[in-house]
Amino acid sequence: MADEKLTQIYIMGKAYDVPVGVTIMDAMEYAGYRFIRGAGCRSGFCGACGTVYRKAGEYRLEFVLACQEMVEEGMHLTQLPFTPAPRSDYTLAELDPSENVLLQHYPEIARCVSCNTCTKACPQEIEVMDYIQAALRGDVAKVAELSFDCIACGLCAMRCPADIKHYHVGQMGRRLHGVADLATPEHLTARIAQLDGGAFDGEMETLASASLADLKAKYAERVIEKVQEPEVATEEVAT
Amino acid sequence: MTKLAYFPGCSLKDNAKRFEDAAFFVMETLGAPLEELETWNCCGTVYSLADDDLMHHIASVRNFIRTKEAGSEELVTLCAMCYNTLARVAGRVEAHADELEKINAFMDREEDYEGGIRIRHILQVLRDTIGWEALSETVVRPLDNLKIAAYYGCTLVRPQETGIDDMERPVVMADALAAVGAEPVTFPFEAECCGTYQIVDEPHLALEQSNRILRSARLAGADVVVTACPLCQHNLEQALIAPVGESEEIKSIQVVYFTELLAAALGADEATMSPVVREILSTSVTAEGGA
Amino acid sequence: MTGPQFAGLQDGYPDYMRASIEKVEATRARRLKEGTLAPMSAEARAELLEAWHPDYKVDRKRDLSVGPSKGARMPHEVADLFEAYPTVDPDSIDLSKPDFDVSVLILGGGGAASVAALHAVYEGISPDDILMVTKLRHGDCNSVMAQGGIQAADRENDSPAIHYLDVLGGGHYTNKPELVRALVEDGPRMIEWHEKLGVLYDRVNGDYLEAHGGGTSRMRMHSAKDYTGLEIMRVLKDEVLNVGIPTIEFAPAIDLLLDEAGQAAGAVLFNLETEEQVVVRARATVLATGGFGRLHIQGFPTTNHYGATADGLVMAYRAGAGVIDMDSVQYHPTGVAYPAAILGQLATEKLRNQGAEPVDSEGESFVYPLEPRDVESAAIIRQCYGEEKGIETPSGIRGVWLDTPMIDEIHGPGTLKSRLAAMWMMWHRHGIDITVDPALVFPTLHYQNGGVEIDAEGATSIPGLFAGGEVAGGVHGKNRLMGNSLLDYNVFGRRAGISAARWAKANEPKGLSLKHVKTYVEELKSAGVGEDRTAPMILPDYRREAVTERRLDALH
Repeated sequence: MADEKLTQIYIMGKAYDVPVGVTIMDAMEYAGYRFIRGAGCRSGFCGACGTVYRKAGEYRLEFVLACQEMVEEGMHLTQLPFTPAPRSDYTLAELDPSENVLLQHYPEIARCVSCNTCTKACPQEIEVMDYIQAALRGDVAKVAELSFDCIACGLCAMRCPADIKHYHVGQMGRRLHGVADLATPEHLTARIAQLDGGAFDGEMETLASASLADLKAKYAERVIEKVQEPEVATEEVAT
Repeated sequence: MTKLAYFPGCSLKDNAKRFEDAAFFVMETLGAPLEELETWNCCGTVYSLADDDLMHHIASVRNFIRTKEAGSEELVTLCAMCYNTLARVAGRVEAHADELEKINAFMDREEDYEGGIRIRHILQVLRDTIGWEALSETVVRPLDNLKIAAYYGCTLVRPQETGIDDMERPVVMADALAAVGAEPVTFPFEAECCGTYQIVDEPHLALEQSNRILRSARLAGADVVVTACPLCQHNLEQALIAPVGESEEIKSIQVVYFTELLAAALGADEATMSPVVREILSTSVTAEGGA
Repeated sequence: MTGPQFAGLQDGYPDYMRASIEKVEATRARRLKEGTLAPMSAEARAELLEAWHPDYKVDRKRDLSVGPSKGARMPHEVADLFEAYPTVDPDSIDLSKPDFDVSVLILGGGGAASVAALHAVYEGISPDDILMVTKLRHGDCNSVMAQGGIQAADRENDSPAIHYLDVLGGGHYTNKPELVRALVEDGPRMIEWHEKLGVLYDRVNGDYLEAHGGGTSRMRMHSAKDYTGLEIMRVLKDEVLNVGIPTIEFAPAIDLLLDEAGQAAGAVLFNLETEEQVVVRARATVLATGGFGRLHIQGFPTTNHYGATADGLVMAYRAGAGVIDMDSVQYHPTGVAYPAAILGQLATEKLRNQGAEPVDSEGESFVYPLEPRDVESAAIIRQCYGEEKGIETPSGIRGVWLDTPMIDEIHGPGTLKSRLAAMWMMWHRHGIDITVDPALVFPTLHYQNGGVEIDAEGATSIPGLFAGGEVAGGVHGKNRLMGNSLLDYNVFGRRAGISAARWAKANEPKGLSLKHVKTYVEELKSAGVGEDRTAPMILPDYRREAVTERRLDALH
């Protein structure tokens, strides 16, 4: 560890001395906890380790991922690794995106009073309330854009006074946006037609039966495609 | 004229899209284009009348903060209900510093609202900033021979503090339509309630009420009822589809948003119009000038 | 966001690193103008690997003394688990009344498992007749952490054949050719399937934004910001839930069941919360349990998720499935070297395919940024420990700079933050803005190149047992290219799911047995393996020794 210095934190009310400069997750293990729930990817992508804490003298409850947040003197913390949040099943191909299907599947989003508590609980710094508002008016493109970084830790849903299951709404919105607003590129469809028609079979057979020396020669002859940026980018990144 | 900071409201992005589309065209044509706030949330839907229910005013206050962030002191709205909610909250927090302080304290780490945002309905902008004369001069397809009944409902004109016109005998919407060549008729139900959300749980109440409004307009000789509220529009449309009682006479009446007729008069492309407006134009209006 | 908590300690880089960062800044304009160094020749690559890649250290491996691949060479950490005793007691468990009886049992809850489950349904198995069981949560897996992208040859200037050559050359021609062929030919189909499921790939002007990865000759890397793995995985999970496939979480399999004829017949599960054993009888079993990163081979930190402990490998091996290429481990060239709190976490290759290049303490580039991963890793290790041009961290490890500010210099301001949102956030949480300062990186344990041997249909050497994803070997040979693991789990998850469904329709296990476990125990004993080690590991133990030494099982 970066420093041998210890600091005191409280895990579910019990005091432990843990090293300075480590994450909450590492500190809990140092203290003697072995995770079953509450630890997943340990890199901030899976949302398994949602954690809440208060510091001495602070009235606010803070919301973090145990694997990403450093321990701090006097933290009183506990993990919330599971959020009971029923989702609504759907068949994507049967939905009519012109209808406000998000509101139909999750009518409780209409209970949003814009208190923004969800946003404040998000360890990913997502504008959660804003995407719920976008869902309310059926703007799935906006839902997709704003909710994209969601790791479904569930802290928003745990915190919402209107009992909204934000991350399910975001998930459904993103998928709807994908099928409703974005066309499959023609070259992909064309490539699949080529594959179906066996256009590459001959070439692949030749490669499959090529000698190691031939393969090495072919590999060495490859021309690496030069990177060319599109001149005008009007729409970028996943939405 | 500079762009107007504009708050659409949820319905205008959903079932009342044509209300907004037409407004965009009208304001663009008049040289006062609407610029939608980049981020906005529901206005709060209904202004909460409870004294201590500050929570339900936060939604509006957030939109005021977004307006300031957009560099504007004014926020223009189109939906009568949004107008009502936003305007009343704006007035309330302006008059009660202690309540605003509580709201700001609740929002905590976010930007404070310090007051100063003025809410305007688009009809006020047309009347007070652009003027009927200027509107008149822009007409390319006058709505001659069209008798219209302007239906205001509740939220545009009540309560008095936020009403955009006389509570009992409003004229602003009729004046707007008159400026583009239509002939307004007056009728006693122009500022009566449409039945609002009763349409969900007690639909017959809303339908009877809406039916009365339509009949009254028809008896006054109107061909078309114009509205400024997605919920009024919805209830009146429902009453057309499912008439109750003596209602033969309302069958031939049409209900559209006022912006749709303004846009038609100002030369909107027919392809962008709703089927109802196209029908109105083909049966009642002498087509000349327009596309 | 509460931000960094220990000003001076975690907030940005320590002052002593600044002098080196200034050198990086001083050379940046020149490096941008001159372009990257050229890729190495085959001979130079071989020489570098031999001298500096961890896989080439002979004393860190041994030959297996038991089992179907007896004599196979592998890291001690893996061999220790293969040469270990079962936790299940075959004599005390009642197999006569299975708790579940299904057509297809899916072991694992990650990408390959989800793809297999969905394709078993597409192949005609009722969702109710499938059971997916997983050690942690559905979606706790390496698939969810993949950042950079997924390869698929779908552009006009590309072809399956070009992809095939890239994969084979990157794997030093050690891959199983029929698996590579399946991988590259199915690639575009998998992307199309994702399209139908609503996966959001990055686009420019409506078309996919496709990039290079290390060792590719065409730009075929599809991405979803640097959340590619997350985006695919969460859609797959959502679809598994929509379709209604039953899933039991926190219930890992601890041994496979065979029938009297030696064909796969289900598994024994372990409920991590109640600690009960649960018996599942199944007509077909899919092994999709992922890899071994949490074994910390040679003491390396890892990018892998908490459950990557090789359980599936151990079970399958005991039941008689052969393994392949287990001697080869992928070290991702760029793991986080600083700050220590996120040591070893992944700094995606996408940082390099968007223009960031590795730079040493003197501010000089020393390697083509997109060599195959083993080569790139070896080059970084050599620069730190051979050339002595690494930067030492306060915790004593060395790293080189990844010059991330180059990305916005090349593509324009804002590019890094939008295309690499997760990366920006990771360092931002520790007070480092990688659009301004470079990132300090060093290789980290990333991927199990080898695994259970499969054929092109996902079949293992045990009838009725199918495998796909990281648990399976042969696809990548001794070195995997970026963007081929997401593709791998899709292609072979699908093939394993379809094969399992077909097998389940035609076969019925007769009797459940753990005889193979007994036989394996006998083999261990006769090989003289000490009885102190048990496996599977299930979860790594990171508790402090001072605590574990004082533990008492007083509740039991």
